[in-house]
Amino acid sequence: MSSPFPLLRLPGVILCEVFKSLSIGEKIQLSLCSTKISTQINNAQFYSHNVIVNQDFLSHKIRIHSENNKDVFEIFICPDIGKNHNSNTQRCPIACCTVPVIFIPTGIKIFWKIYSEGFLSVIQHLLKVFQCKISININCYCSNLFQQTISKLFDLQLEFRTLTIKIQHLTIYNNLGRVEDLRIFSLPDPEFIPVFTSWPQKITIMNSAWFTLEYLLTCTCTRIFLEDSLLGNEDLDEILKNWKAGGFPNLEYLYIESQRISDNGSTILGVNLLKLRGKHIKNNDRSKKLVTKLSTKFGFERIEMSVTVV
Amino acid sequence: MTSPASSSEVKYLIESSEGNTFDVSGAALRQSNTFNAMFLNIGADGPIPFTDYNEATLKKVFEYCEHSVNEENYSGPKHQDDLSKWDLNFFNEMDQKMFIDVINASNFLDIERLTSYCCERIARMLRGKNTQEMIKVITLPTAEELEAKQKVEEKKAAAAKKVAEKAAETAEKTETLEELPVQQLVQTTRNKLTRKYLSFSNE
Repeated sequence: MSSPFPLLRLPGVILCEVFKSLSIGEKIQLSLCSTKISTQINNAQFYSHNVIVNQDFLSHKIRIHSENNKDVFEIFICPDIGKNHNSNTQRCPIACCTVPVIFIPTGIKIFWKIYSEGFLSVIQHLLKVFQCKISININCYCSNLFQQTISKLFDLQLEFRTLTIKIQHLTIYNNLGRVEDLRIFSLPDPEFIPVFTSWPQKITIMNSAWFTLEYLLTCTCTRIFLEDSLLGNEDLDEILKNWKAGGFPNLEYLYIESQRISDNGSTILGVNLLKLRGKHIKNNDRSKKLVTKLSTKFGFERIEMSVTVV
Repeated sequence: MTSPASSSEVKYLIESSEGNTFDVSGAALRQSNTFNAMFLNIGADGPIPFTDYNEATLKKVFEYCEHSVNEENYSGPKHQDDLSKWDLNFFNEMDQKMFIDVINASNFLDIERLTSYCCERIARMLRGKNTQEMIKVITLPTAEELEAKQKVEEKKAAAAKKVAEKAAETAEKTETLEELPVQQLVQTTRNKLTRKYLSFSNE
């Protein structure tokens, strides 16, 4: 069978089986052969929950990999200034455009005149192929490109697996419900008052001094991590009383790291802090159990609360 | 003539697009899920019409089924490297046209093992290649060809629907048979078997 193989003449079921057996990189490479093939791959609807599209704005790279990181493909978005093309450059169709592409051992380099447009087009192409969520790399929160691109991704109603943002960006992202795991870097800014109109599934806040009890009591996340918090014993008492009364209905895990949590004589649920260590607490209707764990590191008291349904 | 399969000795007549008939063992035919769903329990009067496929293609497909009758139970797709020498020869001696016809027939007949090996063989053409190299391996069809393909698939879907309706009708008749008194049912089965023997002796 040396003559070219008429792949698209095969029935859809067969094509789907063929696509399924290809690696992440092979699927992407094949999707760039033509718009028709790309459409067929999209029709195959790979609900690939194990594929992670990881966007790294600083190195202008999109890394697509499996959960175990064994199947990896990298796409670099490069400025199209014409000079960097060579004899291996090929023009490939992506999102209604035909752009120059160079093949490298770990993936491909795609040349685009406008960076953000390139990122958006490639991301959309990938999400159609893999039907998966997107992760935004932790080192990109300070990139200028970041803000406008993420905002556009939100407008496209895409779902995020992990998203790392600066606290000041909160106002831009209107629906955090589409984010599975939100990580917020907070820089001191007394002028800025964050407002949450919706919550992600999980939230991690680094330097969470601004995240007061009022914020926490309205939080509907399942997992909450608060680092460098200013919450104290009285707040813990309030949190636990609230939980016992049916508050935090989704909560599975809460982690608070704070210098203000200390064995200072004040009581939490009627006992002093140290007596909370390893304590099993049931809520008022006895449907859930909360177990506390205490530890100290670098002068910060850390309390973890794990909730299980009884 | 054909009859419900109860042992591997039972032969079934298959009719190709040319109108030619040839026989296939029940054991080989039972590898086809399409056959199992339509005819296995109810039998079929006369040759089974697989008239969308030519004789050469059907013979090739059933050659594979006959060969794999004695192999261990199919346990999911194998890697091309795991194929036996016989399997490799089977694929290597086909030209591209025959290979595509075999894939289509195997897909229609829903023969899992053969379909999966065919898919693996196609995937192997693409594996380890970049876009540039893939484009050299595959032919990209014209808009007209794609339109023609869509029409063929629609026609096949309509044909498959008809076959399914016919099978459902036959199944209804069989259910009626089951309601007959035992004596009458025995007589009906005896008539069927006699027809089958007559058919084989005529050949």
